[in-house]
Amino acid sequence: MFILGFHFPADMGNKIEDSIVVEKLDAMIAEVGIDDIAAIELEMGLRGKECTKFTYTNKDTFMFKALAAYLKDDTYVDKEGEKYLVYTNRYQMSELSKRLDSDDETMALCKAFDSMEQFRVKAA
Amino acid sequence: MSELRQIAFYGKGGIGKSTTSQNTLASMAHYFDQNIMIVGCDPKADSTRLILHEKAQSTILQLAAEMGTVEDLELEDACKPGAGIFAPDAPGGWINWTESGGPEPGVGCAGRGVITAINFLEEEGAYEEEGLNFVSYDVLGDVVCGGFAMPIREGKAQEIYIVMSGEMMAMYAANNISKGILKYANTGGVRLAGLICNARMTDREYDLANALAKDLGTQMIHFVPRNNIVQHAELRRMTVVEYSPYSDQAIEYKELARKIIANDMKVIPTPLEMDDLEDLLMEFGLEEEADEENVGKAAEA
Repeated sequence: MFILGFHFPADMGNKIEDSIVVEKLDAMIAEVGIDDIAAIELEMGLRGKECTKFTYTNKDTFMFKALAAYLKDDTYVDKEGEKYLVYTNRYQMSELSKRLDSDDETMALCKAFDSMEQFRVKAA
Repeated sequence: MSELRQIAFYGKGGIGKSTTSQNTLASMAHYFDQNIMIVGCDPKADSTRLILHEKAQSTILQLAAEMGTVEDLELEDACKPGAGIFAPDAPGGWINWTESGGPEPGVGCAGRGVITAINFLEEEGAYEEEGLNFVSYDVLGDVVCGGFAMPIREGKAQEIYIVMSGEMMAMYAANNISKGILKYANTGGVRLAGLICNARMTDREYDLANALAKDLGTQMIHFVPRNNIVQHAELRRMTVVEYSPYSDQAIEYKELARKIIANDMKVIPTPLEMDDLEDLLMEFGLEEEADEENVGKAAEA
């Protein structure tokens, strides 16, 4: 089973508790560190077309940690100083964030993430 | 030497099985150095078109017919190396391919080619090639035809990936294929390894595909978004990996490839009853519950 790109062994089944995902995310963050990321810039829309840009700043949320960890993850390569956000990861971020976060800024981002638009992210 | 894994891509006709499988397998070879043999199990023999940059010129059934019998056929006549970055001497993994072929439309049994091809490949030692990591079967449509169920039935493919979308018939086919896997799980050891949602970008498609995967007891291993670059690459008879290796869509296929290589979730599926499948579609708003009095009535303008 794969959530946020993390592998959860098959014997854990196909319904992984949110707390276990958070544990894995925290372990990664402890290893790579995300303190240097003050905010996350997002670009919504097709690359090279007219896009919507916004900045996400709420550092106290699961969503921030997930996005910051994604930026630090070598699995996903940078392109032109930003990272394309894999659809599956971002839907999973939104799914988890809706259960774990509650602030308006994050919920608005979740709503945007539920769309079919493409997203690219970079550290601010 | 790592153990050979035999995987298969199943799914409704026209869902994008061959496109998804070729792009994924190309990523497994190119980015992760995996050596792969593709066994195309579709009578139209286009399972390897993007790897070869052309339609396969000869299928096992065609060659056998030309030579008189399949016993006269040599492995090197039917099993060929891939082109370009997938050739054996190119850096990264290599891809070999073969196509089973099939009869003319409307004549004979299409599944027969699959049976003949797999038996031939096994007897000729095609799966014993040094360094081979994966054998991948790309199988047409449904499993109602026993011939197309061959890779499942005989336990040839151990891991089945079902390519589907949020459309009703694709989900129906995914459930049906799961029934086929369940039927032969104990005798042949076949397992469902995950759903791949080849997105049509319908409403709440991710949620719906994810819910179906959970109900089947498996995972939606990846949601492949729709992107025109796939069609652009196809027009040049190329995989996205070759056409534009740094594109966003190549990253999607690379991620799917990474997950398949690391995947250890192989389950005996728990298919849904038709009513439960319809309930699922209604829950996600794709199908309105129809009152008996409205059945057969056109929508209001």
